[in-house]
Amino acid sequence: MSGIVPTCMSRGAARAWMLVRWVVPVIALTLVALALPARAAPAIDYDPGRSDELRECDQHQYRGRIDPARRCYSQLLEIAEPMVQAESAWALGDLRRANELFRAITQRDERAVRPRVRWARLFLQTHQYAEAAALLREAQALDPDDPLAKLGLARLFTERFEGEARPLIESALEQDGELIEAHLLLARMALEENRQSRAEESLARAARIASRRQWPALEIHTLRAALERARDRRPDRWVERVLAENPHYGAVYEQLAHFEIMQRRYREADTLLRQAVEVQPDLWSAHAELGLNLLRLGQVEEARTHLVRAYSGDPYRPTIVNTLRLLDRMEQFEVASRVVTIGSERVEIRTRLHGSEAAVLGPYILDLAREGVVAFSQRYGFVPREPITIELYPDHDDFAVRVAALPGIGLLGVTFGYVLAMDSPAARSRGEFHWGSTLWHELAHVFTLEATDHHVPRWLSEGISVFEEWRTGPTPGVVVPPEAIAALHDGRLLPVSDLDAGFIRPSYPNQVQVSYVQAGLVCLFIEQRWGVERLVALLRQFARAGKQPTSAAAIEATFEISPQAFDQQFESFVRQRFAGLLAGLDTWQRQYDTALKAVREQRWADAVEPARRATQLYPEHTGPDSPALLLARALDGLNRRQEAIEAMEAYRAAGGWDPDALRQLADWLEQAGRGAQRTALLQAINYADPFDARQHLQLGELLLTEQRARESLREFEALLILNPHDPAPAHFGAARALRALGESEPSRRRLLEALASAPHYKPAQALLLQLIQERTGNE
Amino acid sequence: MLVSWLSTGALAATHTVIIAGLGGEPEYEQRFAAQAQALADAAAKSHGPSQVVLLSAAEARRDAVRGEFEALAQRLSEDDTVVIVLIGHGTFDGEEYRFNLPGPDLTASELGQLFDRLPAREQLIVNATSASGAALEPWIAAAPGQGPPRQDSASGSGMATRDARPGMPRESGADDSASHAQPSGADELEPTWRARRIVIAATKSGGERTATRFAQYWVQAVTTPEADVDKNEIVTAAEAFEYTNRQVAASFKSDNVLATEHGRVAGEGAASQFIIARLGTSGGSGDSVADPQLRALLQQRGAIEHDLDLLKERRAALDEAAYYDALESVLVRLALLQRRIDASSPSSDVDGGGG
Repeated sequence: MSGIVPTCMSRGAARAWMLVRWVVPVIALTLVALALPARAAPAIDYDPGRSDELRECDQHQYRGRIDPARRCYSQLLEIAEPMVQAESAWALGDLRRANELFRAITQRDERAVRPRVRWARLFLQTHQYAEAAALLREAQALDPDDPLAKLGLARLFTERFEGEARPLIESALEQDGELIEAHLLLARMALEENRQSRAEESLARAARIASRRQWPALEIHTLRAALERARDRRPDRWVERVLAENPHYGAVYEQLAHFEIMQRRYREADTLLRQAVEVQPDLWSAHAELGLNLLRLGQVEEARTHLVRAYSGDPYRPTIVNTLRLLDRMEQFEVASRVVTIGSERVEIRTRLHGSEAAVLGPYILDLAREGVVAFSQRYGFVPREPITIELYPDHDDFAVRVAALPGIGLLGVTFGYVLAMDSPAARSRGEFHWGSTLWHELAHVFTLEATDHHVPRWLSEGISVFEEWRTGPTPGVVVPPEAIAALHDGRLLPVSDLDAGFIRPSYPNQVQVSYVQAGLVCLFIEQRWGVERLVALLRQFARAGKQPTSAAAIEATFEISPQAFDQQFESFVRQRFAGLLAGLDTWQRQYDTALKAVREQRWADAVEPARRATQLYPEHTGPDSPALLLARALDGLNRRQEAIEAMEAYRAAGGWDPDALRQLADWLEQAGRGAQRTALLQAINYADPFDARQHLQLGELLLTEQRARESLREFEALLILNPHDPAPAHFGAARALRALGESEPSRRRLLEALASAPHYKPAQALLLQLIQERTGNE
Repeated sequence: MLVSWLSTGALAATHTVIIAGLGGEPEYEQRFAAQAQALADAAAKSHGPSQVVLLSAAEARRDAVRGEFEALAQRLSEDDTVVIVLIGHGTFDGEEYRFNLPGPDLTASELGQLFDRLPAREQLIVNATSASGAALEPWIAAAPGQGPPRQDSASGSGMATRDARPGMPRESGADDSASHAQPSGADELEPTWRARRIVIAATKSGGERTATRFAQYWVQAVTTPEADVDKNEIVTAAEAFEYTNRQVAASFKSDNVLATEHGRVAGEGAASQFIIARLGTSGGSGDSVADPQLRALLQQRGAIEHDLDLLKERRAALDEAAYYDALESVLVRLALLQRRIDASSPSSDVDGGGG
């Protein structure tokens, strides 16, 4: 940092200066004069239409002979035809000139396909995906069968983890089976999905073509190294072959790191990325990835150094710019910690929360996290070896930037190992998500990831997290949304050995969400069929040193049945569990619609039976407009309050947590003389909707009545931090809680604060006079 | 709880006009009508149905509105207070605000003329409609020769509160001069009279055109003790505005959407003097109490409150312990005095209060 920010600047001034710097140049219109080194061009360009004269220069470049490469491309820039000039400018890193040349060529020939495809590739390199896509679509409009346009689009989709890539690649290969890049893309996708045989086949094809044409095999060797790693074998011989061919080919380590990150093995990725920038110091993408990865490991300052370095060489990459901006905003976050003792071990839990909400959320987070750490340590027989850091972001965009590098991620939270990040409840509409359950889910990931040194497959880690939400979380209950029921009904659930694909490359809308639920149901099935100990045993299959089993092998070893038999038994389990609903989906929909319409029209009597039937058929439906809520509302409308309470309690037991509904239940309980249950209910609502001032006040008063002064004080403190319109009751409550705790002077001051803001506040006046009387009496 | 709408004058009557305009859709029609009815009920409870005019939905046609204001102008005296609440949709075309009614709308200019003809010295106009910010200046701006327009506040912060407290010894100033002003005719409004008008708008400008949430929270502010922050059992227009504005902002934040309305109030410090709801009698003005002994106690209370405000202003200059000691001293005096006031108040007048 000191090399970038003048040391005489104050920290604030330096920050302001840096804030101004994080801008993304736009290549199409305002490309700045930029001379990237020759290596900024695509690592290996397998474009079959590339001219011989360019290939001659490429040979120098691919072998790391930088100066000869530059001389060669520079000569072409002066004498060759425009397309070769554009490619040469690009290879030399003069992106602006390349851009102008491509533009001029396409303007001269409005029907030219190839220049558009190549121009699009230039945009792809600068991460301007919209422009790249537009040019490729233009090219396809001119020639729908152009295989290179298809390949370009496939590359774009692959970089953005979109599902349409494979058919495009296959179609391109049907037209031209010699497209090495297509085979490499298929290999890469197979590796990401852990389909090793498929990857090997694609690499073998690519190698044959490269050998026949005498093209460099750097990328092929690189992916072979990754395949070796995937098979838990040492990749050294392939890495050595790559470096022998080009000692500055850092991409070999960068690619290996990519696959480690895909498997959430961030420490291994860290080592590889450091090797990448060591052999190729100007590999900006590796600096960027190293910076992002260091953030996952919680090493913020070193992360910033690499990101700044990456920005200096590649100011186009949005992830770099956005993350640097986020790091600037991180100064507004506060860090707190608590130590949990488990047996003889001590586990530190740290929170990193925005200053505006740290005091409100922090105590609840630390309490819940402590509870989770104790429960998961016992269940999974693993005690965290490092501090667990919990980050909550009140701005969803900040959270998205924090996790942007991870594919297929859920939108609410992500765990990088000992660091977990998630949306704060302020990032979303009230009642949109249950932040306590999300924290519980992410915390379970800490254990499944760290207990297995990050070898646990994605589906099992997600499945256990969902299972723990359902079983032990702050709002227990098996919640299965309609899209999962539809997938089950339509036979779209995946075999367990392929379940990871549902997370990484979804093939239909909502498949990621369906896969979460399926993974949770698999864990539920294991628990009910064999007991939870066997679920832990399955996890431990991935905790062993050395060669890691596939999901199929782990299933077979744990349950002593084939994966196919496991799938069949699981299918029977879910079909049996949802038999009534699957057999009567139409009936359910009819009953539900009838109940909903009747409730909306306040025809309570007409709503009760259809709502009851809909609830019986599908109690797992606890989302908005749950039939259980319709039932409770209708019963209350008919003055059948006790039944309404029972319906609402059943809703809650099934996992329902709508804050407004539960507040209604709390009121009903109080009116029914069951105030003690109201306290627990209001406490639970804090984990869904913690920013409701009235709730903190009610809860503070209830806890005070129950002589739980410490907890009561927390509620009044939280209320004050919310800056309520009327702070006097919060001060007054805090004064009484402190008085109950024997803290007389803080209590007095809070009481005076209450009266300073509300001088006529009679209960506070009475307490003040009582204090004076007590003091006078004692003197 | 006894909720009453009273003006500061002992003999003055408070007249309330509530107009719920065109909803356009059944949902809005119902909502506007319900809000208007809630406000009308609260006003009628205090002053009797004869002091309340409610025009809602189909009744709220342009001619009917004009007729009601003209009739009201005949009934009012200068000592009266009038509260006008407009609920519904408003529009602004860049030049003129329009309050949407069944049939032809009423423009800001036309409404302003109707308001100007009311001889009541105390006027509170609450325009809870969309685009209402466009009508704020026209209704508050001084007529030619009346001096500069008054300041307005978008948040309620900066409103004077010290002089607002009932029971404070009155000082000569704008209020006194206002009390001597006389209307010279129905079509003319004396400058000092206009100085007593408070205008509250749901939006900061005519550009905020989305249906507003303001009325919903205004109803809460004047029908519950929620807005009574100082717990003196009185809700002033300033307190009601502050409460409403906060609730509106909180509701947008809760929905995680950008706020499409930002309320404004204009009327100098008058909003913090304008009593819009009384929740009991202990906060009554000394001037308005017939019992001389009670009146004296209330005036003493005003003096202590003044001391309290002065102390709070000096807080930064004091040592923390010294500040709390001084605060305790003032507050104990106030609490002891309040006991005497409560003992002196007729039992039938004492309400549970807002605490």
